[in-house]
Amino acid sequence: MNIVIDGKSCTCEPGEFLLEVARRNGIYIPTLCNHEGLLGQGCCRVCIVEVVERGWSKTVVSCIYPVLNECEVHTNNEKIKQQRGIILRLLQKRAPQSEIIAALCKAYSAPALDKLNEKDGKCIICGLCVRACSTLGAGAIATVNRGITKEIAPPFNEPPADCIGCGSCARVCPTKAIEYHENETTRTVWEKTFTLVHCASCGAQMGTQEELNFAAEKAGTEPSTLCDACRKKQLALVMADVYSAT
Amino acid sequence: MKRTLLVCCGTGCLANGSEQVVQALENAINKMGVMGQIEVKAHIKRTGCNGFCENGPIVQILPDDISYYKVKPHDAQDILSALQENKVVERLLYKNENGERIKSKLENPFYKPQYKIALRNIGEIDPGNIEDYISRGGYEALTKALNMSGSEIIEQVELSGLRGRGGAGFPTGRKWRTAAGYDVFPKYVVCNGDEGDPGAFMDRSILEGDPHSVIEGMAICALAIGATEGFLYIRDEYGLALKNVNAALASALELGFLGKNIMGSGKALNLSVVRGGGAFVCGESTALMASIEGRVGEPRAKYIRSVQRGLWDCPTVLNNVETFANIPVIIRDGGPLYATLGTKTSSGTKVFALVGKVKRTGLVEVQMGATLRHLIFDIGGGIIDDRPFKAVQTGGPSGGCIPSAMLDLPVDFDTLTQYGAMMGSGGMIVMDDRDCMVEVARYYVKFLTEESCGKCTPCREGLRHMLDILTGICEGRGQDGDLELLEQLCQTIAESSLCALGKSAPNPVLTTLKYFRDEYEAHIHNKYCPAGVCSKLTTFVIEKNKCKSCGLCKKNCPVNAIRGEKGQAYEIDQRSCIACGSCRQACRFEAILAQGRAQK
Ligand SMILES: Cc1cc2nc3c(=O)[nH]c(=O)nc-3n(C[C@H](O)[C@H](O)[C@H](O)COP(=O)(O)O)c2cc1C
Ligand code: SF4
Ligand code: SF4
Ligand code: FES
Repeated sequence: MNIVIDGKSCTCEPGEFLLEVARRNGIYIPTLCNHEGLLGQGCCRVCIVEVVERGWSKTVVSCIYPVLNECEVHTNNEKIKQQRGIILRLLQKRAPQSEIIAALCKAYSAPALDKLNEKDGKCIICGLCVRACSTLGAGAIATVNRGITKEIAPPFNEPPADCIGCGSCARVCPTKAIEYHENETTRTVWEKTFTLVHCASCGAQMGTQEELNFAAEKAGTEPSTLCDACRKKQLALVMADVYSAT
Repeated sequence: MKRTLLVCCGTGCLANGSEQVVQALENAINKMGVMGQIEVKAHIKRTGCNGFCENGPIVQILPDDISYYKVKPHDAQDILSALQENKVVERLLYKNENGERIKSKLENPFYKPQYKIALRNIGEIDPGNIEDYISRGGYEALTKALNMSGSEIIEQVELSGLRGRGGAGFPTGRKWRTAAGYDVFPKYVVCNGDEGDPGAFMDRSILEGDPHSVIEGMAICALAIGATEGFLYIRDEYGLALKNVNAALASALELGFLGKNIMGSGKALNLSVVRGGGAFVCGESTALMASIEGRVGEPRAKYIRSVQRGLWDCPTVLNNVETFANIPVIIRDGGPLYATLGTKTSSGTKVFALVGKVKRTGLVEVQMGATLRHLIFDIGGGIIDDRPFKAVQTGGPSGGCIPSAMLDLPVDFDTLTQYGAMMGSGGMIVMDDRDCMVEVARYYVKFLTEESCGKCTPCREGLRHMLDILTGICEGRGQDGDLELLEQLCQTIAESSLCALGKSAPNPVLTTLKYFRDEYEAHIHNKYCPAGVCSKLTTFVIEKNKCKSCGLCKKNCPVNAIRGEKGQAYEIDQRSCIACGSCRQACRFEAILAQGRAQK
């Protein structure tokens, strides 16, 4: 089927998300809470666009809006620009230290709403980190409270007991709000320091011991001491032995 | 002649001691029975909410048609003695504006203009007794529906023109038709009894006072769409409603109106109660379903509707308590008859919870299209102390404030919406000249900042910023540009929020900005609160020549800031006064004046 985005005719499959269609056609829409591995968020609302369908106009979030009918889409008209500007200003009030939001505010000429409280940090409470953590199974962090007091926190506001130090939360975070440090031997996340394990054969970094234990427990095996590459290599050698013996 | 004494035991009356009244009546009857006066066989039923709560406990005597109000246990003896002599206890009758005592409930100005469908049995039956419900035609509609096809049932609902009473007014028949059209099983029927609007208690009263009407409505819906499983989602604080619904489910099951084989038809329906967590947002359809499924009660984007993919991704019909309570009447009497009530686009009746500065408060059911004036002045009896009417807030936090110029608007789904307000689920809070409209807007925004689920930016952050601005205005820190920014925020929140909580959250602000802008401007530019409510902008003074030195103000002051003695005008010590306004509310002689601080 065909839809028109900012005057450009674009082909798409019914049910495809509007954002994907736009991106494929080289049309830029800003996003924050959208992450390809964790679809269906739709909460930051910076990716709003106007959709005109059979004469009806509505504002939708492009990252989760499935295209089902022919329509005309405006990703950056005056109305959307103004509303996106307001949303960005509101996000900046919440996360004054975030560079990406500051940059977006600048791009959309959205001035600060009032004096920013620098204590407020970088988190925009999109919940991606929580979803990442629960999707991989650790479930170490959660959102607490509702409304304007909502925040992301490990249980009891202490370093999370169930955290395995994989760092997925920090990697998916759109505003780099989760502090994450790593050196040769240790990794620190959520104020908890983990020892990094290295491959017994090649010495490559394999992640934290807790991470390896978690993966092994899920698979019902013993934690590996070799990295993936070396394990494959070893397997190949074993196989070669087996074949040459026959 | 066998007489029946109906003692209201709804939440309001229970709080006022109706249990003790029941006890006292029972004791008195026993005592008189011993004395051999056997003609009076008074019989006490526990009935649900009568809707006239502030005058409870209410005792109605049938077939004499006598209604007594504010009955105390020590009145029991008088009531029974009078009954034996075929007399009435004058002092317990309702007194109307002209001081006349009214004997019949139907002649009472609060009840007389009402037209009851959803509340048809409330106050007339014992909700704990299924036979009572059946004796008033209950479960006749279900019997009838069992002999109809699903499509025939839905046709009657379509013909009735019934629209959802939960707020949005979506046509119920169309919703059912869509759900019936999906060939995906199982299907679910869900009743929304979350009722979180401040000041609303329509659904609670129905669930408490006539639970079978809702159960029967749900059973008919299940037959129509082919559902075999259903849930009643009821707010956890509604203890009596939960108890009465659970008891009603058990007795309906016992008599075969629910269960594996409904009245021998081979059709099945299992209904159960889910206790809501008490968050306002859990009333929103997708959040409610998430909550039933055991997930966090947060809304999701509704680009695919829940009639198609609702509970556990199956077709689901969600309707409000009052919507379901209307169904048995529609099926029993036919859709076309129901459609003759109310207006063309909003048929039938609507229940309102009339509260605030109105003389008679309580639950009111009238035909759609009644004017606000009729509700507030005829049924409600006008404003307390005959003060000037200022506004009525309809539809709770998603509704708006309607000024006096619009009192003659008919109340239905579409009219108020055109004016930026909304009939909503039926909350109606009446305000007088001593209510500050900026403060009212601030109050609702504050409520919503606490009740928003916090998932999406416009609602969570937008409301937070609106609250900052409104608090600033109320506290004298308002500045040029505030109102324009408020309007921009409103527009963004209304259009780009994820769910209807956010989308409708700006309504109280937008309507007050539209109809009471001068009040905002007075706060911002003159640092003056015309209603004398915002304490940072107000001082109270006692006018010497009007003060009758009764001392009521002193008694009501929470911080003991008023001095005076009999024979002299009282005086407020401005240093300790916190400008709460309690004294002004207490004074019977209009002797206490609210003044701006800046004017001092
Ligand atoms: C924030 C919010 C709260 C709501 N609360 C309720 C409620 O307490 N009771 C209710 O019946 N509907 C409530 N609704 C409306 C429901 O989402 C839904 O539209 C309604 O239950 C459908 O039933 P109806 O068609 O019979 O009105 C609420 C909606 C929103 C957005
Ligand atoms: S920490 Fe990052 S990913 Fe987590 S909620 Fe905040 S902004 Fe989103
Ligand atoms: S509009 Fe408010 S309540 Fe609805 S999803 Fe967004 S934050 Fe939650
Ligand atoms: S990127 Fe679409 S809502 Fe956040």
